[in-house]
Amino acid sequence: MPDIWGIAAILAKLMLYVGIAGSVGLVINRAVFADLVSPVSDRIRTTAALFAALALVAAILGFMLRGAALTGGADGMADPEMLGLLWQTPVGDVLVYRIAGAVLIIIGVFTPRVGQWIALAGGLIALWSFAQIGHVPELETTGVRLLLLLHLLGIAFWIGVLGPLRALSRRPEHIASAADLGHRFGQAAAVIVPVLILAGLLMAWLLLGDLRALVATGYGQALVIKLVLVGAVLTLAAANKLRFIPAMQAGDDKAARHLARSIEIETAVILVVLAATATLTSVLTLPN
Amino acid sequence: MKNIAVVTLILALSTGAFAHSRVDTTTPENDAVVAEVPAEISFNFAADIRLTRVDMTHQDHPSVRLDLGDQTSFDQAFTLPLQGMGEGTYRIEWRGLGVDGHAMQGEFTFTVD
Repeated sequence: MPDIWGIAAILAKLMLYVGIAGSVGLVINRAVFADLVSPVSDRIRTTAALFAALALVAAILGFMLRGAALTGGADGMADPEMLGLLWQTPVGDVLVYRIAGAVLIIIGVFTPRVGQWIALAGGLIALWSFAQIGHVPELETTGVRLLLLLHLLGIAFWIGVLGPLRALSRRPEHIASAADLGHRFGQAAAVIVPVLILAGLLMAWLLLGDLRALVATGYGQALVIKLVLVGAVLTLAAANKLRFIPAMQAGDDKAARHLARSIEIETAVILVVLAATATLTSVLTLPN
Repeated sequence: MKNIAVVTLILALSTGAFAHSRVDTTTPENDAVVAEVPAEISFNFAADIRLTRVDMTHQDHPSVRLDLGDQTSFDQAFTLPLQGMGEGTYRIEWRGLGVDGHAMQGEFTFTVD
Protein backbone atom coordinates (compact mmCIF):
# COMPACT_ATOMS: atom_id res chain seq x y z
CA MET A 1 0.00 0.00 0.00
CA PRO A 2 1.68 3.26 -1.05
CA ASP A 3 1.50 6.29 1.22
CA ILE A 4 -0.61 9.33 0.44
CA TRP A 5 2.19 10.63 -1.83
CA GLY A 6 2.18 7.41 -3.82
CA ILE A 7 -1.57 7.69 -4.40
CA ALA A 8 -1.22 11.36 -5.32
CA ALA A 9 1.53 10.40 -7.79
CA ILE A 10 -0.79 7.84 -9.43
CA LEU A 11 -3.58 10.39 -9.79
CA ALA A 12 -1.21 13.01 -11.23
CA LYS A 13 0.06 10.40 -13.70
CA LEU A 14 -3.51 9.52 -14.68
CA MET A 15 -4.22 13.23 -15.31
CA LEU A 16 -1.06 13.40 -17.39
CA TYR A 17 -2.07 10.36 -19.48
CA VAL A 18 -5.57 11.74 -20.08
CA GLY A 19 -4.20 15.20 -20.94
CA ILE A 20 -1.51 14.01 -23.34
CA ALA A 21 -3.42 11.15 -24.99
CA GLY A 22 -6.51 13.34 -25.31
CA SER A 23 -4.78 16.37 -26.79
CA VAL A 24 -2.38 14.47 -29.08
CA GLY A 25 -5.19 12.16 -30.21
CA LEU A 26 -7.47 15.05 -31.13
CA VAL A 27 -4.64 16.79 -33.01
CA ILE A 28 -3.90 13.61 -34.99
CA ASN A 29 -7.55 12.93 -35.83
CA ARG A 30 -8.19 16.55 -36.79
CA ALA A 31 -5.26 16.30 -39.23
CA VAL A 32 -6.02 12.83 -40.61
CA PHE A 33 -9.81 13.14 -40.93
CA ALA A 34 -9.96 16.92 -41.60
CA ASP A 35 -12.80 16.64 -44.13
CA LEU A 36 -14.99 14.42 -41.95
CA VAL A 37 -14.59 16.19 -38.62
CA SER A 38 -14.94 19.74 -40.02
CA PRO A 39 -18.42 20.25 -38.43
CA VAL A 40 -16.88 19.81 -34.98
CA SER A 41 -13.45 21.23 -35.84
CA ASP A 42 -13.72 24.27 -33.53
CA ARG A 43 -14.79 22.11 -30.64
CA ILE A 44 -11.90 19.70 -31.28
CA ARG A 45 -9.50 22.64 -31.20
CA THR A 46 -10.78 23.97 -27.86
CA THR A 47 -10.91 20.49 -26.32
CA ALA A 48 -7.38 19.68 -27.51
CA ALA A 49 -6.11 22.90 -25.93
CA LEU A 50 -7.92 22.09 -22.65
CA PHE A 51 -6.42 18.58 -22.59
CA ALA A 52 -2.98 20.06 -23.27
CA ALA A 53 -3.51 22.49 -20.38
CA LEU A 54 -4.47 19.53 -18.16
CA ALA A 55 -1.26 17.78 -19.24
CA LEU A 56 0.74 20.91 -18.39
CA VAL A 57 -0.76 21.13 -14.89
CA ALA A 58 -0.36 17.37 -14.33
CA ALA A 59 3.30 17.42 -15.46
CA ILE A 60 4.13 20.23 -13.03
CA LEU A 61 2.09 18.62 -10.23
CA GLY A 62 3.80 15.25 -10.82
CA PHE A 63 7.21 16.96 -10.63
CA MET A 64 6.28 18.69 -7.35
CA LEU A 65 4.95 15.42 -5.92
CA ARG A 66 8.35 13.86 -6.56
CA GLY A 67 9.71 16.65 -4.38
CA ALA A 68 7.28 15.57 -1.65
CA ALA A 69 8.50 11.97 -1.98
CA LEU A 70 12.02 13.22 -1.18
CA THR A 71 11.06 14.87 2.11
CA GLY A 72 8.04 12.75 3.03
CA GLY A 73 5.86 15.84 3.45
CA ALA A 74 4.00 18.57 1.59
CA ASP A 75 6.91 20.95 2.24
CA GLY A 76 8.91 19.07 -0.41
CA MET A 77 6.50 20.13 -3.16
CA ALA A 78 7.82 23.68 -3.03
CA ASP A 79 11.26 23.06 -1.53
CA PRO A 80 13.74 24.79 -3.88
CA GLU A 81 16.55 22.44 -2.82
CA MET A 82 14.52 19.27 -3.58
CA LEU A 83 13.06 20.58 -6.84
CA GLY A 84 16.52 21.83 -7.85
CA LEU A 85 17.94 18.34 -7.26
CA LEU A 86 15.19 16.71 -9.33
CA TRP A 87 15.72 19.27 -12.08
CA GLN A 88 19.29 17.96 -12.59
CA THR A 89 18.11 14.38 -13.11
CA PRO A 90 16.28 12.93 -16.15
CA VAL A 91 13.06 13.83 -14.29
CA GLY A 92 13.87 17.48 -15.05
CA ASP A 93 14.46 16.73 -18.76
CA VAL A 94 11.12 14.97 -18.96
CA LEU A 95 9.35 17.94 -17.37
CA VAL A 96 10.85 20.19 -20.05
CA TYR A 97 9.66 17.83 -22.84
CA ARG A 98 6.14 17.74 -21.41
CA ILE A 99 5.83 21.48 -20.88
CA ALA A 100 7.27 22.21 -24.34
CA GLY A 101 4.98 19.61 -25.94
CA ALA A 102 1.82 20.90 -24.25
CA VAL A 103 2.64 24.55 -25.02
CA LEU A 104 3.33 23.71 -28.69
CA ILE A 105 -0.02 21.88 -28.91
CA ILE A 106 -1.86 24.90 -27.47
CA ILE A 107 -0.05 27.32 -29.81
CA GLY A 108 -0.49 24.93 -32.74
CA VAL A 109 -4.23 24.41 -32.48
CA PHE A 110 -4.85 28.16 -32.47
CA THR A 111 -2.49 28.86 -35.39
CA PRO A 112 -3.94 28.57 -38.91
CA ARG A 113 -2.41 26.26 -41.57
CA VAL A 114 1.12 25.43 -40.26
CA GLY A 115 -0.43 25.24 -36.80
CA GLN A 116 -1.37 21.59 -37.15
CA TRP A 117 2.27 20.69 -37.82
CA ILE A 118 3.35 22.66 -34.75
CA ALA A 119 0.71 20.83 -32.70
CA LEU A 120 1.77 17.43 -34.12
CA ALA A 121 5.43 18.19 -33.33
CA GLY A 122 4.39 19.16 -29.79
CA GLY A 123 2.45 15.91 -29.49
CA LEU A 124 5.47 13.85 -30.58
CA ILE A 125 7.71 15.64 -28.07
CA ALA A 126 5.19 15.03 -25.27
CA LEU A 127 4.86 11.32 -26.18
CA TRP A 128 8.64 10.93 -26.53
CA SER A 129 9.00 12.09 -22.91
CA PHE A 130 7.59 8.70 -21.86
CA ALA A 131 10.46 6.98 -23.65
CA GLN A 132 12.98 8.91 -21.51
CA ILE A 133 12.35 7.58 -18.00
CA GLY A 134 10.47 4.60 -16.64
CA HIS A 135 10.60 0.83 -16.76
CA VAL A 136 10.69 0.52 -20.55
CA PRO A 137 13.42 3.15 -21.16
CA GLU A 138 15.46 1.43 -18.43
CA LEU A 139 15.82 -1.52 -20.81
CA GLU A 140 18.18 0.88 -22.59
CA THR A 141 17.39 -0.21 -26.10
CA THR A 142 16.51 2.37 -28.72
CA GLY A 143 14.31 -0.15 -30.51
CA VAL A 144 12.17 -0.64 -27.40
CA ARG A 145 11.84 3.13 -26.94
CA LEU A 146 10.56 3.42 -30.50
CA LEU A 147 8.19 0.53 -29.81
CA LEU A 148 6.84 2.45 -26.81
CA LEU A 149 6.42 5.59 -28.93
CA LEU A 150 4.54 3.55 -31.54
CA HIS A 151 2.33 2.06 -28.81
CA LEU A 152 1.56 5.54 -27.44
CA LEU A 153 0.85 6.99 -30.90
CA GLY A 154 -1.64 4.19 -31.55
CA ILE A 155 -3.35 4.75 -28.19
CA ALA A 156 -3.55 8.51 -28.76
CA PHE A 157 -5.02 8.02 -32.25
CA TRP A 158 -7.65 5.68 -30.81
CA ILE A 159 -8.55 7.89 -27.82
CA GLY A 160 -8.66 10.96 -30.05
CA VAL A 161 -11.32 9.58 -32.39
CA LEU A 162 -13.81 8.89 -29.58
CA GLY A 163 -14.86 12.51 -28.90
CA PRO A 164 -15.41 13.62 -32.52
CA LEU A 165 -17.14 10.30 -33.39
CA ARG A 166 -19.53 10.63 -30.45
CA ALA A 167 -20.21 14.33 -31.17
CA LEU A 168 -21.00 13.66 -34.85
CA SER A 169 -23.17 10.62 -34.16
CA ARG A 170 -25.33 12.64 -31.76
CA ARG A 171 -26.24 15.17 -34.46
CA PRO A 172 -28.84 13.75 -36.84
CA GLU A 173 -27.60 15.95 -39.72
CA HIS A 174 -24.06 14.57 -39.41
CA ILE A 175 -24.79 10.86 -39.05
CA ALA A 176 -23.40 10.19 -42.54
CA SER A 177 -20.11 11.89 -41.58
CA ALA A 178 -20.06 9.92 -38.32
CA ALA A 179 -20.57 6.66 -40.23
CA ASP A 180 -17.76 7.62 -42.65
CA LEU A 181 -15.43 8.58 -39.82
CA GLY A 182 -16.19 5.35 -37.99
CA HIS A 183 -15.64 3.35 -41.17
CA ARG A 184 -12.33 5.01 -42.06
CA PHE A 185 -11.08 4.81 -38.48
CA GLY A 186 -12.08 1.15 -38.46
CA GLN A 187 -9.96 0.54 -41.57
CA ALA A 188 -6.95 2.28 -40.00
CA ALA A 189 -7.55 0.49 -36.69
CA ALA A 190 -7.48 -2.90 -38.43
CA VAL A 191 -3.75 -2.23 -38.99
CA ILE A 192 -2.92 0.00 -36.02
CA VAL A 193 -4.63 -1.95 -33.23
CA PRO A 194 -2.84 -5.28 -33.87
CA VAL A 195 0.49 -3.37 -33.97
CA LEU A 196 -0.49 -1.58 -30.74
CA ILE A 197 -1.29 -4.86 -29.01
CA LEU A 198 1.79 -6.66 -30.32
CA ALA A 199 4.00 -3.76 -29.20
CA GLY A 200 2.33 -3.86 -25.76
CA LEU A 201 2.74 -7.61 -25.39
CA LEU A 202 6.36 -7.49 -26.55
CA MET A 203 7.17 -4.75 -24.00
CA ALA A 204 5.36 -6.70 -21.26
CA TRP A 205 7.39 -9.79 -22.10
CA LEU A 206 10.65 -7.78 -22.09
CA LEU A 207 9.76 -6.28 -18.71
CA LEU A 208 8.53 -9.45 -17.02
CA GLY A 209 10.71 -12.03 -18.76
CA ASP A 210 8.70 -14.87 -17.29
CA LEU A 211 5.02 -15.79 -17.52
CA ARG A 212 4.97 -16.88 -13.87
CA ALA A 213 5.57 -13.25 -12.86
CA LEU A 214 2.10 -12.47 -14.23
CA VAL A 215 0.44 -14.22 -11.30
CA ALA A 216 3.21 -14.20 -8.72
CA THR A 217 3.89 -10.44 -8.49
CA GLY A 218 1.83 -7.29 -7.89
CA TYR A 219 3.20 -5.87 -11.14
CA GLY A 220 2.11 -8.94 -13.08
CA GLN A 221 -1.35 -8.94 -11.51
CA ALA A 222 -1.88 -5.27 -12.36
CA LEU A 223 -0.80 -6.05 -15.91
CA VAL A 224 -3.33 -8.91 -16.09
CA ILE A 225 -6.09 -6.53 -14.93
CA LYS A 226 -4.98 -4.05 -17.60
CA LEU A 227 -5.07 -6.76 -20.29
CA VAL A 228 -8.55 -7.94 -19.27
CA LEU A 229 -9.83 -4.35 -19.45
CA VAL A 230 -8.16 -3.85 -22.84
CA GLY A 231 -10.00 -7.00 -23.94
CA ALA A 232 -13.28 -5.35 -22.89
CA VAL A 233 -12.41 -2.20 -24.86
CA LEU A 234 -11.59 -4.31 -27.92
CA THR A 235 -14.94 -6.09 -27.66
CA LEU A 236 -16.78 -2.76 -27.55
CA ALA A 237 -14.71 -1.45 -30.46
CA ALA A 238 -15.47 -4.58 -32.47
CA ALA A 239 -19.21 -4.13 -31.82
CA ASN A 240 -18.95 -0.52 -33.03
CA LYS A 241 -17.06 -1.48 -36.16
CA LEU A 242 -19.04 -4.58 -37.12
CA ARG A 243 -22.53 -3.60 -36.00
CA PHE A 244 -23.26 0.07 -35.33
CA ILE A 245 -21.13 1.67 -38.06
CA PRO A 246 -22.54 -0.54 -40.90
CA ALA A 247 -26.09 0.13 -39.60
CA MET A 248 -25.38 3.87 -39.58
CA GLN A 249 -24.04 3.65 -43.13
CA ALA A 250 -27.37 2.07 -44.05
CA GLY A 251 -29.13 5.12 -42.53
CA ASP A 252 -30.19 3.68 -39.17
CA ASP A 253 -30.59 6.61 -36.72
CA LYS A 254 -31.00 4.37 -33.71
CA ALA A 255 -27.59 2.79 -34.36
CA ALA A 256 -26.02 6.26 -34.04
CA ARG A 257 -27.45 6.60 -30.53
CA HIS A 258 -26.18 3.14 -29.64
CA LEU A 259 -22.74 4.09 -30.96
CA ALA A 260 -22.66 7.26 -28.84
CA ARG A 261 -23.57 5.22 -25.76
CA SER A 262 -21.03 2.52 -26.62
CA ILE A 263 -18.31 5.19 -26.95
CA GLU A 264 -19.19 6.54 -23.49
CA ILE A 265 -18.77 3.08 -21.95
CA GLU A 266 -15.57 2.54 -23.96
CA THR A 267 -14.20 5.85 -22.61
CA ALA A 268 -14.98 4.83 -19.02
CA VAL A 269 -13.17 1.50 -19.44
CA ILE A 270 -10.20 3.24 -21.13
CA LEU A 271 -9.98 5.55 -18.09
CA VAL A 272 -9.65 2.50 -15.84
CA VAL A 273 -7.01 1.03 -18.21
CA LEU A 274 -5.06 4.29 -17.91
CA ALA A 275 -5.45 4.19 -14.10
CA ALA A 276 -4.06 0.63 -14.06
CA THR A 277 -1.17 1.80 -16.25
CA ALA A 278 -0.50 4.80 -13.98
CA THR A 279 -0.28 2.38 -11.05
CA LEU A 280 2.10 0.11 -12.98
CA THR A 281 4.38 3.00 -13.88
CA SER A 282 4.22 4.97 -10.61
CA VAL A 283 4.29 2.74 -7.56
CA LEU A 284 4.77 -0.88 -8.60
CA THR A 285 8.30 -2.16 -8.93
CA LEU A 286 9.29 -4.60 -11.62
CA PRO A 287 9.76 -8.20 -10.57
CA ASN A 288 13.45 -9.03 -10.71
CA MET B 1 -19.36 5.63 -9.89
CA LYS B 2 -16.57 5.78 -12.44
CA ASN B 3 -14.33 7.60 -9.98
CA ILE B 4 -15.07 5.12 -7.22
CA ALA B 5 -14.13 2.29 -9.58
CA VAL B 6 -10.85 3.98 -10.48
CA VAL B 7 -9.91 4.70 -6.86
CA THR B 8 -10.86 1.19 -5.76
CA LEU B 9 -8.74 -0.28 -8.52
CA ILE B 10 -5.78 1.89 -7.59
CA LEU B 11 -6.04 0.89 -3.93
CA ALA B 12 -6.44 -2.76 -4.84
CA LEU B 13 -3.38 -2.73 -7.05
CA SER B 14 -1.14 -0.65 -4.87
CA THR B 15 0.38 -3.37 -2.77
CA GLY B 16 3.86 -3.03 -4.21
CA ALA B 17 6.69 -1.10 -2.67
CA PHE B 18 6.77 2.61 -3.29
CA ALA B 19 9.95 3.61 -5.06
CA HIS B 20 13.12 1.61 -5.14
CA SER B 21 15.07 1.11 -1.96
CA ARG B 22 18.48 -0.34 -2.58
CA VAL B 23 20.26 0.08 0.72
CA ASP B 24 23.00 -2.50 1.07
CA THR B 25 24.09 -2.24 4.67
CA THR B 26 23.65 0.05 7.64
CA THR B 27 25.57 0.50 10.87
CA PRO B 28 24.16 -0.58 13.25
CA GLU B 29 22.55 -3.33 11.24
CA ASN B 30 18.78 -3.59 11.02
CA ASP B 31 17.37 -5.21 14.21
CA ALA B 32 20.77 -5.12 15.91
CA VAL B 33 21.02 -4.96 19.70
CA VAL B 34 23.94 -2.84 20.88
CA ALA B 35 25.26 -2.11 24.38
CA GLU B 36 25.79 1.63 23.93
CA VAL B 37 24.18 4.34 21.88
CA PRO B 38 26.34 4.66 18.75
CA ALA B 39 27.86 8.10 18.22
CA GLU B 40 27.07 7.87 14.53
CA ILE B 41 25.05 5.83 12.08
CA SER B 42 26.10 4.96 8.56
CA PHE B 43 24.52 3.82 5.32
CA ASN B 44 26.00 1.97 2.38
CA PHE B 45 24.00 1.98 -0.83
CA ALA B 46 24.32 -0.24 -3.87
CA ALA B 47 24.38 2.80 -6.16
CA ASP B 48 24.94 6.54 -5.82
CA ILE B 49 22.15 8.38 -4.08
CA ARG B 50 21.63 11.81 -2.58
CA LEU B 51 20.13 11.56 0.92
CA THR B 52 17.35 14.10 1.26
CA ARG B 53 15.93 13.36 4.69
CA VAL B 54 16.80 11.20 7.68
CA ASP B 55 14.52 11.03 10.74
CA MET B 56 15.23 9.28 14.01
CA THR B 57 12.51 8.07 16.35
CA HIS B 58 13.43 6.91 19.86
CA GLN B 59 10.79 4.78 21.56
CA ASP B 60 7.56 6.78 21.66
CA HIS B 61 9.18 10.19 21.39
CA PRO B 62 8.37 12.40 18.42
CA SER B 63 10.81 11.88 15.56
CA VAL B 64 13.84 14.11 15.21
CA ARG B 65 15.28 15.20 11.91
CA LEU B 66 18.99 14.41 11.62
CA ASP B 67 21.31 17.05 10.23
CA LEU B 68 22.86 15.91 6.95
CA GLY B 69 25.71 18.39 7.48
CA ASP B 70 27.90 18.57 4.41
CA GLN B 71 26.80 15.18 3.09
CA THR B 72 24.63 16.65 0.41
CA SER B 73 26.08 15.14 -2.73
CA PHE B 74 25.50 11.91 -4.63
CA ASP B 75 27.45 9.12 -2.95
CA GLN B 76 27.21 5.50 -1.84
CA ALA B 77 28.34 5.89 1.77
CA PHE B 78 27.03 8.31 4.39
CA THR B 79 27.81 8.75 8.06
CA LEU B 80 25.66 10.93 10.30
CA PRO B 81 26.25 11.86 13.95
CA LEU B 82 23.58 10.58 16.30
CA GLN B 83 22.28 12.39 19.38
CA GLY B 84 21.90 9.56 21.91
CA MET B 85 18.66 9.35 23.88
CA GLY B 86 19.48 6.45 26.17
CA GLU B 87 18.28 2.87 26.10
CA GLY B 88 15.46 1.69 23.95
CA THR B 89 14.61 1.16 20.31
CA TYR B 90 15.69 3.64 17.66
CA ARG B 91 14.04 3.77 14.25
CA ILE B 92 15.87 5.51 11.42
CA GLU B 93 13.79 6.46 8.37
CA TRP B 94 15.59 7.76 5.33
CA ARG B 95 14.63 9.20 1.98
CA GLY B 96 16.82 9.94 -0.99
CA LEU B 97 17.11 10.52 -4.70
CA GLY B 98 18.79 8.16 -7.17
CA VAL B 99 20.94 9.55 -9.98
CA ASP B 100 18.22 8.39 -12.39
CA GLY B 101 15.64 10.57 -10.63
CA HIS B 102 13.97 7.81 -8.62
CA ALA B 103 12.82 8.69 -5.13
CA MET B 104 13.99 6.05 -2.66
CA GLN B 105 13.07 5.37 0.93
CA GLY B 106 13.68 2.88 3.66
CA GLU B 107 14.15 2.39 7.35
CA PHE B 108 16.01 0.33 9.91
CA THR B 109 15.80 -0.12 13.65
CA PHE B 110 18.23 -1.00 16.39
CA THR B 111 17.94 -1.39 20.13
CA VAL B 112 20.25 -0.11 22.85
CA ASP B 113 20.08 -2.47 25.80
